[in-house]
Amino acid sequence: MRKLILTLALTALTLGAAAPASAQKINLDFPGLADRATEVVDVTLDASMLRMAAKFLSNDDRDERAVRDMIAGLEGIYVRSYEFATEGEYDRGLIDRIKSQLGPTWKPLVTVRSKTKENVNIFANMQGEKVTGLVVIAAEPREFTVVHINGPIDIDRLADLEGKFGIPNISKGRKDDHDDDND
Amino acid sequence: MNLENDLKRALRRESPAPGFAGRVLQRIEHADRAVPVRRPAWWRAAAASVTLGLVLGGYATHKVVEYRRGERAKEQVLVAMHLAGEKVRYAQQQVHNIGSHD
Repeated sequence: MRKLILTLALTALTLGAAAPASAQKINLDFPGLADRATEVVDVTLDASMLRMAAKFLSNDDRDERAVRDMIAGLEGIYVRSYEFATEGEYDRGLIDRIKSQLGPTWKPLVTVRSKTKENVNIFANMQGEKVTGLVVIAAEPREFTVVHINGPIDIDRLADLEGKFGIPNISKGRKDDHDDDND
Repeated sequence: MNLENDLKRALRRESPAPGFAGRVLQRIEHADRAVPVRRPAWWRAAAASVTLGLVLGGYATHKVVEYRRGERAKEQVLVAMHLAGEKVRYAQQQVHNIGSHD
């Protein structure tokens, strides 16, 4: 019995020590922003939901299989994307708010600044050579998108996914639709 | 001394009323003979059918709910990966463009 308690305590300690490195929670709540947006994408998938989604991704479809392989081992995917009717509807300080939550293991991979197109910041949570998390912040005058992928991810394979899935146009759900979902 | 006598009197052995043993035995015998109420066979079949129906119905409902949740999760994964891929690809292209200008 004593041995069992000791083993459990050691396991808990080990898990507790490992947790901050891989499972960093990033607050992606932006109160009031969805109300001002014309289109909203809000995706929150924890590990259990990802496992469930993996079961529904087809093995026969090459793209879906690629996604399934990619999400295996992930602990969460979180997306917040807002599109606005006019410019200046969101506070640019949101970007700094997200950046400030990233710990010392997070390294900026790419920063794209454009006067005409979107500004993109990509941060990777580096554990040695391995990427164990990714945060993408894309800011346009009328659009603001944050993607947080928690877990080991291959960035090149992620970039290859763009434009696939047999979905011609993944449009953001209209705000009305989103509201309906929440009802 | 009085107390001792009182106690003796109170705790003295007394014989039961006549016929006590017979009445007890009669009751035991009557209890043994009591037959449980047997419901007809159709009643048991109906109860089993209802139970089976409830179990199957519950299972089917659970499966439908799980299927819907799974399909929704799959859709969300595809949207999330599409968006993430799009942004990462855009950033990579910008880096490539800068590289090709040099």
